[in-house]
Order: sequence, then C-alpha cells, then structure tokens
Amino acid sequence: MKDISLIRLLPETTNVPFFGVRKIAGVLSILAIFASAFLFMTKGLNYGIDFTGGTVIEIDTGTDPQPDVIRETLSRLGYGGGTVQNIAPPLDSGVDHDYVRVGIPLQEETEESGANAQQEALKNVVEGLTESIGEFNIRNQDVVGSKVSGELRQKGIIAVLAALSLVLVYIWFRFEWQFGAGAVAALFHDVILTIGVFSLTQIEFNLSIIAAILTIVGYSLNDTVIVYDRIRENLRKYKAMPLPDLLNLSVNDTLSRTIMTSMTTLLALLALYVLGGDGLRGFSFAMIWGVAVGTYSSIFVASPLLMILKLKRGGKVEGSSGTEVTA
Amino acid sequence: MLYFSKGKTLFILFVVLIGFLLALPNGLNEKTRESLPGSLQRTVNLGLDLQGGAHMLLEVDLSSVVSQQLDNELEAIRSEFRSNGRIQTEYLRVEEGKVVGRFRKVEETAKGLEIVRGMSVAVDPTALGTDKTTKVSTSGEKNFTVEITDAYISAIEKRTIEQSIEVLRRRIDPTGTTEMTLVREGDDRILLQIPGAKNVADIKDRINKTANLSFNMVRAESNSEKAIQLAVQGKYPPGAIYYPQEQGGGLLVEKRTKITGECLKDSSNGIHPTGGYPIVNFTFNLKCAKIFGDLTSRNLGQRFAVVLDNEIITAPRINGAITGGSGFIEGSFTQQSAKELSLLLNAGALPAKLVIVEERTVSAELGNDSINAGKIASIIGLIGVALFMWLSYGLRFGTIANLALTINIMLIAAALSLLGATLTLPGIAGIILTIGMAVDANVLIFERIREETFNGRPPVNAIETGYRLSLAPILDANITTFIAAATLYLVGSGPIRGFAVTLAIGIVMSVFTAVVVARLMTATWLRRSRPKDLPI
Repeated sequence: MKDISLIRLLPETTNVPFFGVRKIAGVLSILAIFASAFLFMTKGLNYGIDFTGGTVIEIDTGTDPQPDVIRETLSRLGYGGGTVQNIAPPLDSGVDHDYVRVGIPLQEETEESGANAQQEALKNVVEGLTESIGEFNIRNQDVVGSKVSGELRQKGIIAVLAALSLVLVYIWFRFEWQFGAGAVAALFHDVILTIGVFSLTQIEFNLSIIAAILTIVGYSLNDTVIVYDRIRENLRKYKAMPLPDLLNLSVNDTLSRTIMTSMTTLLALLALYVLGGDGLRGFSFAMIWGVAVGTYSSIFVASPLLMILKLKRGGKVEGSSGTEVTA
Repeated sequence: MLYFSKGKTLFILFVVLIGFLLALPNGLNEKTRESLPGSLQRTVNLGLDLQGGAHMLLEVDLSSVVSQQLDNELEAIRSEFRSNGRIQTEYLRVEEGKVVGRFRKVEETAKGLEIVRGMSVAVDPTALGTDKTTKVSTSGEKNFTVEITDAYISAIEKRTIEQSIEVLRRRIDPTGTTEMTLVREGDDRILLQIPGAKNVADIKDRINKTANLSFNMVRAESNSEKAIQLAVQGKYPPGAIYYPQEQGGGLLVEKRTKITGECLKDSSNGIHPTGGYPIVNFTFNLKCAKIFGDLTSRNLGQRFAVVLDNEIITAPRINGAITGGSGFIEGSFTQQSAKELSLLLNAGALPAKLVIVEERTVSAELGNDSINAGKIASIIGLIGVALFMWLSYGLRFGTIANLALTINIMLIAAALSLLGATLTLPGIAGIILTIGMAVDANVLIFERIREETFNGRPPVNAIETGYRLSLAPILDANITTFIAAATLYLVGSGPIRGFAVTLAIGIVMSVFTAVVVARLMTATWLRRSRPKDLPI
C-alpha cells in the first residue's frame, strides 16, 4: 500500500539563499517600520468607540436606508460630527436591504451628567431618527463613556506590553539572550507594521484589533521559536559550519513547515474574513496581515539578527570536525 | 515514543470518549438534549453578543455617599455637644474630608473629646475586628479633628453597592422571573447583564430614577411671592427648601421630615374612586403611620407636599387626620406612569446616583446572524484545512492529522461546556483560528518525519525520531502563544476574554491531540501494517 501525497509544496530539501537577500530584506523592513511610524504620527489610527468613547448604533429600517436623511437629522440635532455607514446584511440571511450604522461622537461629560451625557445623546438620536425616517429596529447599540474608553485604551497598551515582556522572559530562559533579543525585535517589527497598515487603510482600530495583535505576537513568536529551535539543534550538530550557512540551513530545514502552517492558518482566516460577518472582519484582516508579516519576519528578521547580535557558538571545539554529530 | 502501554491507551481513549460525551449536547436540539442524563445536558454558554441582550456597566457615586456620611457625623457631633452640657465651639465644620473643630473653653476640651470619642463605635459589631468608625485626633489644647476610618469607608461603600444591587434587581425584575446578572465589578461599579432584553430603553429609565420620596410640610407663612422669588434664586429661609412643582411653579417646604420612602410598606397603582383618573396607592409601616397620624392631626388645614426626586408631585390640604397609615398620591399620572412610579417606590430609593458608563446591547437577530456566520466560516475553514492536509500529506497521514483536528475541536467544545465558559463572537474567531493553527503541531511532526525518511532512516525509526525531535519546538511554540492568550485573558474584558479562553483551550487541546492522540493513531497503524516505506 502506497499512497503518496498529491502535492508537494516544496522539494524534499530546499536551499534558498535567504541570507543572500538579508540586506535587501533588512532595508525593506527598516523602511516599512519608518513608513508605519510616519503614518501613525501623521494619519493616526481610526480608533473605534472602545478607545474614543461615544455611541454607535446599527439599525434596520426595513428598506434600503437613506443616509442623507439620517445625516441631516444628526446635524439638525447637533451631532454634526456623527457618521453614517451602510452595512450589507449577511449573504444567507435573505435580507434584501442594507442596514445602517450611525455613530455619535463622544459628548462632553459634565460633573452633573457624567457618562449619562452619552445615553442622553443616544436617546435624542433615536427619537429624532424615528421622526425623520419612521420606526426601525436597533440591531446593536454600543455606548462607551469617556472614563471607560480611557481605561480600555490603557488596558490595551498594558496588554500588549505585558505580553511582549512575558514572552521575552520566556525566550530568555529557554535560549541565549541573543535569541530573546532577536525574537522581540521581530515581534516589534510585526506589531509596528500591523499598526502601520491600520493607519494606512484607516480600518477601525478597536479592542478586537488589540486581541489580534496579541495573537500575532503569539503566532509570530511561534514561527520564530521553531526556527530558533532548529538553529540551536544545528549549532550542536554542525560545529564547524559558518554561522551564515548554518542559519540559512536552519531556515531552509523549517521552511516547508513554516509555509504549511501559514497556509492552513491563512485558509482558516480567509474563511473567517469572507464569511465570518461584519463583526470579525477587522480582526481577521489584522490576523491575515499579521500571519504574513510574522512569517516574513521569522525568516528575514529574527534569524539574520542573530548574526548581527554575534551569537556565541556553544561548542568550544569549533572547527574541529565538520561531520554530523547525531544527538 | 511509539510504545503505549494498554493502560495508557485506554486512558487516552477514555479522555477522548469523555470529551465526546461532553461535547455531544452542543450538537443536539433541545428536545433530544433534555432526554439525556443531567450531567450531560450542559452546553456552551453563549455570550450576550451571540444570544442577544443588554450589557451595562454602572458606576455608583460612592464619594457622595461618603461625604454624606461625613455631614451626618458633623450633625451628630453638633447635636451631642448641644444636648450634653452645651459644649461650645469656636467653629465646627467639614474641611478636606474631615470634621474639624475648636472648643471655645479649654476646660471643656476633656469632656468634649470624651463625647466625640464615645461616638466612635465598632464598624461591624458582630465581627471580631476592632475597626472603629472614626478616628479622633487633637492638636493644641482646643483643636480636634474627626476622620472616618478606611474600614468604615469600605463598609459604607460595600453597603451602598449591595443596596444598589438590591434596588436595581427589584426595579428591573419586580416579578423575579428574568434571568439576569447583577454583580459588583471593581471598586465602584456594578455589572448588569440581561440576556434577551428587548425594551432596553425602559430598563435604562428605571435605572436612572433615584425615586427619593418624602412628605414635607408646606411652609404656609413663608410662601409669599417675594419669598418664592428669592427661593428660585437659591435663597431660602432657615430650615426650608424650595422644590419646583410638576405642574409649574414651586413651593417652600420644611427641609426636615420623618416621612420618607423608607416608610413605605407597599404601593400600587389604582384609579381614583370618584375622579376615575390614575393614582398611586400607598401604605406606611406602623411606625410611620403613627408619625403621619400625629403630623396630620396637628396640622389640620395646612398643606403637605409629596416630593419625588426633588420635584413636588402634589401638595394636598389636610382635611382630617390620616391615622390609618394609607392613602394615595394623585398627580398628572397616566396609567403607565402610575404603574412605573409604584414599581419604583416598592423597589426603594437608590442609595447613590448611578451612571451608565458603558453599554453594549445586541439584538437576538444580530446575535443569530453572528452565530450563523461563525458556523459557516468554521465549516468552510475546516474543510479547506482538511483538504489541504490530505493533499500535502497523503491519505494516511492527512487522515491522522484531520482526525486529530476534529477531536481537537470536539475537546474545545467539551472543555467550554465543562468549564461553563462563555462563547463570544471573538471566541468563535478563536476557534476558527485554532482550526488553522492546530494542525501546526502535526505539520511539525510530519515534516520532521519526512526529513528523517529523506535522510535514510527506516519508517519506524523515522517516525520515532520525528516525534522525539518535534516535542521541544512544539512545546516552546505553544507555550509562547499560550502566554499571549493568558495575558489577553488577564487584562482583557468581556468578549475579548472569550477569545482568550477559546484560544488558550485550543492551544492545550491541539498539543494533546497532536502529541498524544495522533501519536497513538500513528503507533497503532505502524504496529498493524508494518510499512516498508512511508507514504508521506
């Protein structure tokens, strides 16, 4: 009985000279990081109400919505900064008209009103809209006061920093410090580029994007650790091999695994992006980008960095034998 | 690596079987589920974002309660000084969260301090703790300060939150039939969750009313036009206070009153016996019934005001002593507003102001859409990944990986059901992500086996080595992702926690299924067919 797999993504052994292009990759990464930082500082992020505070409601008017009337109602009520956006219904729902999402900017909270200022605005808008466009169903309403949004902002930053430092500690204990530094540099690379792409596309940046970033941290590290593990193994095996060759060999050894896992993860994420509904689109977009960048960074950032950081060879018998030493 | 003792094999099969049984109820419809034994009826809890409902975070204005208590302390000290030997002070007031005072005469200091110290009692007389309510300190010969202790403050805060929760429960769910969650969150917040809530606007109206009721005598003599004019500007005669009337205008009433909302034993809405318009009936408890009886018999011909939340609803003239302890309030009520008011009065007043600092409400319809979208995305994702694995690793190893993946998802469902964890929309994303990432461990192993085969190892040896050498990277890789998930759980909130939970469970289960279950499958296959070369 012999059934061979139908496709092979890669030949049995690959020998892609990743390290030949490491300088180009390095320049590219540095440029991308600068571009991201520049975008972040000039264009900023399109923060959702989780972080800005304010109100968002999604309503079903029973027919195709009239964004102009809604917009006019908002500005008549004094919420000129509000947003109106049509939302397509799920493909299989049988609904033939769009829903509409209405955003009310954060209202000033006085000592007297507190966060009830937001509730007041919501009430006014619902009443005003009922007058101008008739009865409608509210599918979803999110109201976040300024205090809570401030806390969520803070928590988000703490979450990302805490995760980064915890994994740094873990890598530091498991590997030599150069590995830890390389892995964390790769992580910062991925996180910065993800923030950059959100600044570029102006896709809403909310709590679930923080979740995505943390998952990217986990995923990218996962990739990096697999390569590092192999480097460590090969370091013991081939004591005389020059470091660039050894790093290149290790990346090649793990290449088919890296690509396979990225492919299956991307497949699942693509299904989520296309079919998972509006609520998860931003999240799955961030994850797709993060998986791509994370895969790139573990090959082109994390490993070359080991050279720059002058990784010490463990064996003192360097150069004594070039033959394989089986563990 | 490839030898499993009988006991181990049975144990692994047992775990998978238990997982299957625990996951099973989720796949059945309600009727079939109810026919199962009780311990197998548990299913995954759906978060509010999936089943629809209201989620609100309420902030209680605790600082006002504490400063109110400080005022009370001040008043109590003042009245003790007055009644206990007329101790005089140069000043006695609240300053920077403390009561500060200075005695007029040095010889009264000792006695005055004794009185003040005597007023500091145990915070909780039933407990063994020695925490007192106040701390008295002196400076110089005549100055003293009284502070409320931290223990007392936290006791006051705790009581306030508990009372608020109780009042909210009665207001939102007077019949006690709604399924809802009301718990303290953090220091000064209450989390309210009502699955399937429909009339959220009504609920919010009820939350926002303090429902402070009192009956105050109207100041007949000082309600001149000029006095009212001054009162509107905020200048009252001593002991009086001005409240606007619901139907316009306003009245000066006595500030002090003994008839408050706490006097109410019961209230209900009704119809005026002769007028036929809606009214609110009330009954006082015995103590207040007597006080009210005395009050009305002493003030025949005068008016009293029914004040609700700083507004006069009605101010009837006393035509005869009301000694029965019951009566009715008439105002410009509709049937509905009379009903609402009696409900609020029955529920009692909130001890402090509440503010809705966060609200997330999802309709059942949207929740359903999300579940459907999640189902479709999971199934398509699963099929895609499974096909890909078959194409890449052939029928034999592809099947092992895909079986492991299926068991993995089943075990996630089992763990979620068992832990009573809540599945949220981001949680679904976590599961779909797991589908993609869970095969990673098997990919690592298979790639290693391929490599070892290519290096010329015979099948059993290649598989053995593949599993052995893959273990460390698998653990390293998954522990790091697990750390990220754990961080997310610790600092995340609500739905995001749901994501962290499914991701973390998914990681644990994927390591178990790849390293243990799939290895058992591989070992069994190897033993049975003893292949000469590997179909990988």
